[in-house]
Amino acid sequence: MEILNGLIEGLGVAVAPTNLLFAFVGALLGTAVGVLPGLGPAATISLLLPMIYKIGSPATAVIFLAGIYYGAMYGGSTTSILLNLPGEAASVVTSLDGYKMALKGRAGAALGIAAIGSFIAGTIGVLGLTFVAPPLAEFALKFGPPEYFSLTLVGLLLAVFLSGSSIVKGMITLSLGLLFAAVGLDPVTGNVRFTLGTTHLQSGFDFVTLAMGIFGLGEIFYNLEQSEAGQIVTTKVGRLWPTMQDWAESKWAIVRGSVLGFVVGVLPGGGAVLSSLASYGLEKRLSKKPEEFGEGAIAGVAGPESANNAASSASFIPLMTLGIPANASIAMIYAALLIQGIQPGPFLITEHPDVFWGVTASMYIGNAMLLALNLPLVGLWVQLLRVPFSILGPVVVLFTTVGVFSIANNVTDIFSLLFFGVVGYLLKKFKFEVGPLPMAFVLAPMIENALRQSLLISNGSLSIFVVDRPISATLLGIFAVMVLSQVVKFFRTRARTAK
Amino acid sequence: MVSTNLRGILSMRRIRTWAALVLSAVLLTACGGAKPEAKPATPAPTQTQAPAPAEKTWEPTKQVTLMVPYSAGGSTDLLARAIEKVWPKYVKQGLVVVNKSGAGGFEGRESVVRGAADGYTLMMGYGSGEDLVVPQLRTTNVDVFKDLLPVARMSVHSVLVAVPAASEFKSLKDVVDWAKKNPEKPVTAAVATAAGAQDIVMRGIGKVAGIKVTPVPHQGGSQAITALVGAQTMIGGGHPAEVMPHVKSGRLRVIGVALPERDPSLPDVQTLKEQGVNFSTWGSVKGIAVAKGTAPEVIKYYEEIMKKIAEDADFKKAMGDLYQPIMYQNAKDFGAFMTQAYGDYTKIIKDLDIKLQ
Repeated sequence: MEILNGLIEGLGVAVAPTNLLFAFVGALLGTAVGVLPGLGPAATISLLLPMIYKIGSPATAVIFLAGIYYGAMYGGSTTSILLNLPGEAASVVTSLDGYKMALKGRAGAALGIAAIGSFIAGTIGVLGLTFVAPPLAEFALKFGPPEYFSLTLVGLLLAVFLSGSSIVKGMITLSLGLLFAAVGLDPVTGNVRFTLGTTHLQSGFDFVTLAMGIFGLGEIFYNLEQSEAGQIVTTKVGRLWPTMQDWAESKWAIVRGSVLGFVVGVLPGGGAVLSSLASYGLEKRLSKKPEEFGEGAIAGVAGPESANNAASSASFIPLMTLGIPANASIAMIYAALLIQGIQPGPFLITEHPDVFWGVTASMYIGNAMLLALNLPLVGLWVQLLRVPFSILGPVVVLFTTVGVFSIANNVTDIFSLLFFGVVGYLLKKFKFEVGPLPMAFVLAPMIENALRQSLLISNGSLSIFVVDRPISATLLGIFAVMVLSQVVKFFRTRARTAK
Repeated sequence: MVSTNLRGILSMRRIRTWAALVLSAVLLTACGGAKPEAKPATPAPTQTQAPAPAEKTWEPTKQVTLMVPYSAGGSTDLLARAIEKVWPKYVKQGLVVVNKSGAGGFEGRESVVRGAADGYTLMMGYGSGEDLVVPQLRTTNVDVFKDLLPVARMSVHSVLVAVPAASEFKSLKDVVDWAKKNPEKPVTAAVATAAGAQDIVMRGIGKVAGIKVTPVPHQGGSQAITALVGAQTMIGGGHPAEVMPHVKSGRLRVIGVALPERDPSLPDVQTLKEQGVNFSTWGSVKGIAVAKGTAPEVIKYYEEIMKKIAEDADFKKAMGDLYQPIMYQNAKDFGAFMTQAYGDYTKIIKDLDIKLQ
């Protein structure tokens, strides 16, 4: 089979000592970048591009950059679980249950299952890249503004599902997220919105600033208040590894998350975020113990973590098969290839099989390396939790502030960080679940763009969302079903309690 | 954490809390005084004030930053990377490309304008929509001619009009004919950003040909072309660097270029004028600029370096692969060109009655 030939040739390229070395260094660097708040994989890749030209072989260059990219996915979950500091939008969902698990002393299990899940997802992702890349890419092309609108609408609804017990409170935080997302430039007309006269806010709030503020600072302010009252918040250090029970609860979550993440991850734009959200929603629905979600359900960590890793593998598909970069990091890799005279697209596989297959095979090896790297480190990371809060707190504040400043070298970001910290503190104090806020913040621009573009294309007609668009119609159908089932559940519980 | 001696715990805790607070305060003051550094080991360029040299010549003595006010992968970014690739042949000091997208291209510009005019920060993309079009539609924080000085023009990215390969339209004339036959249905056109160079072209086509064209803005050229490839709109505007790869892979067809004469890198593509739509713009001019106040020797130095780069064989090959024509102009000519192009756009905006909605 031609594909197997290609894969074998690719493995040959991937295990060349230079490529192995670069895969390892890339993965290591990526993990470091993912753990440290502020600098993301896109910025790192950008800084390293000049060195790439000196490497010579394009396959090696892409292997290195790809390693940084998916390495960052692994690293991002570490801080989410340990410190409730999601560095990337895709890690927010992990922090919901992951951090709760850490608070209960199960940080090791959470980290462990995240690493294992990510590895399995990465493998499934690479298999998908090998076998179903071209048809999946065609599928991605069919996603136009109406499909994105319907999809993100479902995503918003799923975000409300993250809200724990009170749906109303969840919707309030969701609306706050939508409001914060409105700050910046109007995407269609370019008009300025809510920027308080500054130029910096014209690009809107940065996600990392918002997440670090609400999750990190907010939590720290809240804990300070608790400490004042005489209670010391500590994260206990329990078992280091997931138990057989954990594995039993998570294994299907991992598989489902991987497949879901892979399919949703192919879509340019919101792949990783939407896939982790969708996975969380799915697991909560399918779980025999849904009340555990939000309090430390391991499936709530395993599923989304696998989803976002599969999504990061899938995001290479539009690049390699169509020549369309799906996000900022991939765009850098795209630039790196173009500058070396290699055109990513349908001809890549025939004109430069070493690049296509070499990178694919190397992703598998990279995933294995990351697993080998991260599992032993779990013990080390968990020791971090032994550090008393009185020291850990200020250090986290320091790192977050420096990290946030490093994004744009702009002091406005630090004020934004403080502002979000206060918001996060207030939300926690009044027992609002903060999860929906960053989700809404990320999804809002997507929804707004999609809605307005769709209406522009259809000349104002709403029928564009359903007519001749089976994907969009199906998604809207799912949305309607989800809303209806909630309504039904509400009336049923009310009837039951009335009895 | 349980202990019977409550007072003991409190004082221990208090000592630790104070120690931690003092430690953080010390660290924050120490770090607050230091310059912020990027996280990986590569040194970040520092913006110290270099004294303006009294001699006629100037050379950089440390790393130079090339600021791209858009995100990676777009045509401006690729041009910067092409420059970055051959730069080491002509300059001993390194060049680092920094993407600072945001505020529709203004955040990057503002950071150059407010930074030190010491010759260590160059801006890529002078002459784009933000310089020639947007200031004529709303007030901006950066004055094109007062805050930035031209150094060299490297390329002009024309605006191509393209359709998906499966489209029934084989030429611009087909589009106009169809629109005239279906006056209640507007021609949807994917464009990179609102009020950008491509948006103007689409509106221009509509006005001049007397048909209804609805530009559909996206978050950049890459997204707009993706939408066009997926046939989400009927036609689309794009720069050659973004469009040609898809033409090569058979997914897009180019039906016109909005220049006064044919684009040198695409000799087979007819202009709009040739097809009966008498409209042309300069597209998006891609030049290099520095902040106002930069010494003339510094500008002269970079002007010459850019000339050498423009004539470099590797650069030519890279630009050819990117479908970007090399159209070098030195600082003086570039400045004159900018004034002319600005005036041309003023006329277009007035004639087409273009406003931000």
